[in-house]
Amino acid sequence: MARKPPARVDLFRGTLDLLILKTLLPGPSHGHAIAKHIQRTSEDLLQVETGSLYPGLYRLEAAGWVTAAWDISEKGKRARYYRITALGRKQLASEHSKWDAFVRAMRLLLNPGSERA
Amino acid sequence: MKLAWWMRRRQKERDLREELEFHLSEEAEEREAAGLSRDQARAAARRDLGNVTLLQEDTRAMWTWTLLEQFMQDARYALRTMARNKAVSAFAVVSLAMGIGAGTAIYSFMDAILLRQLPIADPSSLVEISWRAKHVERQAGRSGPSQFVLHGIDGRWDNDETGAHARIFPFAAVAPLREVSAPVLSGLFTYFHYGRMNILINGNAELADVEYVSGGFFQGLWVLPTAGRAIEPDDDRPAAPPVVVLSHGYAQRRFGAAEQAVGQPILVNNLPFTVAGVAPPEFFGVDPGIAPAVYLPQSTNPLLDPDAVARNVNPNHYWIGVMGRLRPGVTHEQAQAAMAPVFAHWVAPTANTDPERANLPQLNVDPGGRGLDTLRDTYSKPLYVLLAMVGLILAIACANMANLLLARAAARRREIAVRLSIGAGRLRLIRQLLTESLVLALLSGALGIFIGVAGIRLLTVLLANGDAAFTLHAALNARVLFVSIAVSALCGTLFGLAPAIRSTRLTLVPALKNIDLMPRMRLQQALVVAQIALLALLLVSAGLLTRTLANLQSVPLGFNPESVLLFQVNAPQAGYPAAGVAAFYDNLRGRFTAIPGVRAATLSHSSLIRAGRAYSLLADGAEAPGTRFLQTGPGFFSAMQIPILQGREIDERDRAGSLPVVVVSDLFARTFFANQNPLGRHVQVRSRFSIDLEVIGVAADARYGGLKGTNPPVVYAPYAQLPARELQQMTYALRTDGDPLRHVPIVRAIVHDADARVPVTNVVTQRDEIDQTMNQEIVLARLCMAFAIVALAIACVGLYGTLAYAVARRTREIGIRIALGARRGAVVWMVLRDVCALAAIGLAISVPIARGTSKFITSFLFDTTPNDPRAMAFAAATLFAAALAAGYGPARRASRIDPTTALRNE
Repeated sequence: MARKPPARVDLFRGTLDLLILKTLLPGPSHGHAIAKHIQRTSEDLLQVETGSLYPGLYRLEAAGWVTAAWDISEKGKRARYYRITALGRKQLASEHSKWDAFVRAMRLLLNPGSERA
Repeated sequence: MKLAWWMRRRQKERDLREELEFHLSEEAEEREAAGLSRDQARAAARRDLGNVTLLQEDTRAMWTWTLLEQFMQDARYALRTMARNKAVSAFAVVSLAMGIGAGTAIYSFMDAILLRQLPIADPSSLVEISWRAKHVERQAGRSGPSQFVLHGIDGRWDNDETGAHARIFPFAAVAPLREVSAPVLSGLFTYFHYGRMNILINGNAELADVEYVSGGFFQGLWVLPTAGRAIEPDDDRPAAPPVVVLSHGYAQRRFGAAEQAVGQPILVNNLPFTVAGVAPPEFFGVDPGIAPAVYLPQSTNPLLDPDAVARNVNPNHYWIGVMGRLRPGVTHEQAQAAMAPVFAHWVAPTANTDPERANLPQLNVDPGGRGLDTLRDTYSKPLYVLLAMVGLILAIACANMANLLLARAAARRREIAVRLSIGAGRLRLIRQLLTESLVLALLSGALGIFIGVAGIRLLTVLLANGDAAFTLHAALNARVLFVSIAVSALCGTLFGLAPAIRSTRLTLVPALKNIDLMPRMRLQQALVVAQIALLALLLVSAGLLTRTLANLQSVPLGFNPESVLLFQVNAPQAGYPAAGVAAFYDNLRGRFTAIPGVRAATLSHSSLIRAGRAYSLLADGAEAPGTRFLQTGPGFFSAMQIPILQGREIDERDRAGSLPVVVVSDLFARTFFANQNPLGRHVQVRSRFSIDLEVIGVAADARYGGLKGTNPPVVYAPYAQLPARELQQMTYALRTDGDPLRHVPIVRAIVHDADARVPVTNVVTQRDEIDQTMNQEIVLARLCMAFAIVALAIACVGLYGTLAYAVARRTREIGIRIALGARRGAVVWMVLRDVCALAAIGLAISVPIARGTSKFITSFLFDTTPNDPRAMAFAAATLFAAALAAGYGPARRASRIDPTTALRNE
């Protein structure tokens, strides 16, 4: 199947962290799965570049928002699993509310009146 | 935590690799599942993954140690590159190190002289009291009205076009100044550096430097003695028991330890004193250039010096130094405002003539924390000149380094092009190239410090030049070290930047194909021209200073300085009774004459070169201004080999009681007895003593009082016929066979045997004494020559490197020329012509600069003008010779190019 590239949306600066943390909220996952999950959930609108995913993961790890450990994947291969920490949850909550406020502000500005609907 | 991370970084690298591998396989599997073949899937996955190296780098950047890591990497790489080009790197490092080392040594001295503070508590609140006046015109003869209130002086004053200035005052001015200073100064104290006195301790006589200080001196400086007590106000009263304070070094040397000196009796010029205490080891008095060994209370001055009583009340005799300590919160301007009017009021009545009244000295209060500046006066100018020269060397070395780096960068164009084309960041590359030059510079800095330490030792020896009393001790201190390292780092950045920027700005494709599209070697050539111009400046100054030295050395002395031993003896100071002094000196002369190997022995009150005594003299009743006086013993002219032109010399017949006689110099005879027979005429001394002397001989002119300046007319009088109290120190001159210094032990034994209290001092050969008077010129000329040679070597290698590189680049062109029939000689000339053109441009630039700047060293020149054409010619000739020598190797190589090999090279 030749994938027809959907009209992709560029990720805003800082949103990748939010997406990764959100993806990890249900349970630990490895890098590839995180990328796929974001891509699928956004209906292919968002494509996470490998070039930014792994630096991003390492950045989150350095910040203490996720921890990483080697584990065996469902296919029986060694994979590096990332798990969100308590600090990460707090960060996610705060980023999440900031993002909500931002989206609401954008919507108010771009579609005046739609808020009431 | 970060460190632990750093330690685990290999583990992390492995993790990252494995993780990416996993990602790749997952991706591939997914695509395979979607229907691609295994290989296609894998390739697509890899494509999707993008630039793995970049990804790894970006990820690593998250580990925050990257900068340091990259620097370490760069530094390691730099060292490897340097190891590959050993000769070039070694030369670059050594040449820069020499520049830095020489700079460090010179700067250490400047630091010691110009920047060091007195080693006492809170030096910033010390003030130095001085006065200023307008320039005082030299009085023409004794006739005209006195021009200035200063009639007599012990110490120094500066009097030039910028004005007159000194730090010494009449003793009588001190009391009113002390009184008025009470509200602004917490203490006002005085000092008077007398010079050397005879110090007898446990039967051993020695001369030591003595300073008279007021009772508040140690208190005012806040100097606490290490042992005993300091000189206190109570000691500075006329009838107080006489005490001394010794310097720490002197107490240790004479008594073994500071504590053992306290309470001991010592004889100062044969008068009994008691050691009250010992100054702390770091204390050297208020003048870093003097470092007295013995401090006496000011009130003891009249005991030791019969003239002191008259001097103390003479308001026109300037001799006593004054310092003070500011009260907290008072500025030195406020202190000056308080004290200056009182001094003006005091000094006004001391003026007796209209010119004196029109130019009264005005009091200044200056910060005194750096101590007095006799050292600064003596050495600061030559040191500034040397520092400027070192700056030139450093500039040449830096240009060289830049040139070498440029050539190297050119040789590495392909490597850099490859790295740029596979995605290396330009900034990253520049950073790496900069690191390389920085590593070079820091290595040079480290090496330069070693050279600097050696240089300080060398300079100390050179500047002291046998002067045992030399007190300037420079040490490599933290500030000097910091300056050196900063300079080398700065050099590294400066000379690294241009090549770094340049070599990363190349057009990739031709560079990769190894086609030379570099612009003509403009930058290199500019650097070489600059080097040559700087070098020419150094060569001109070296030429000027060497000529100065040669001129000084060829000044006709009028006497034979070879194989003469000089030494001083001072019997009255050791307590010898005045009536017996003449006989004592005569007896010594007889015993010296009898030493085997001594051909003649004579004496005079001072050696000719150091002499400087003038009395008010009349030649047959008429003033004889400017005439100098020398007390001489029998046989002086034959021993010094000064020809007698008329009459006879002074001999044993001229003793006390016989007719007082005098020998005059040829110049004196021609000036004051023009066209008349001088023999039988009379010379009268009208000064501290009056005597009428009959001229018995005329001696050829001999240098009197130094080598510079016009030689004065001189009269030579037999010491035995002068009043006994005029006899003080004597300098013996022994003309010997062979090395004069081998007679020193027997001389000491003879004097010790004659009177154990009398020490033999200032032992020196006549040759060395003359050299000491031109010490500054010798040191400057030698150092400047050494600098010029170093600079010449550095510049030559730079020139050689540039030319060799140019020839290598033109290999193909030269090959074609030779293939087309160019003769070898023509090829050599073609290369040398370029060299000469560069040298000529450099020279053309530097000549006007040299003419402009050599004025700064005018004061060091003697009989040489700053524009001396011979010095310029010397510089030009040396430059062209050096340029040709440097260019010959590459030129020869160019002429040896084999056309077939050169053309096949493409």
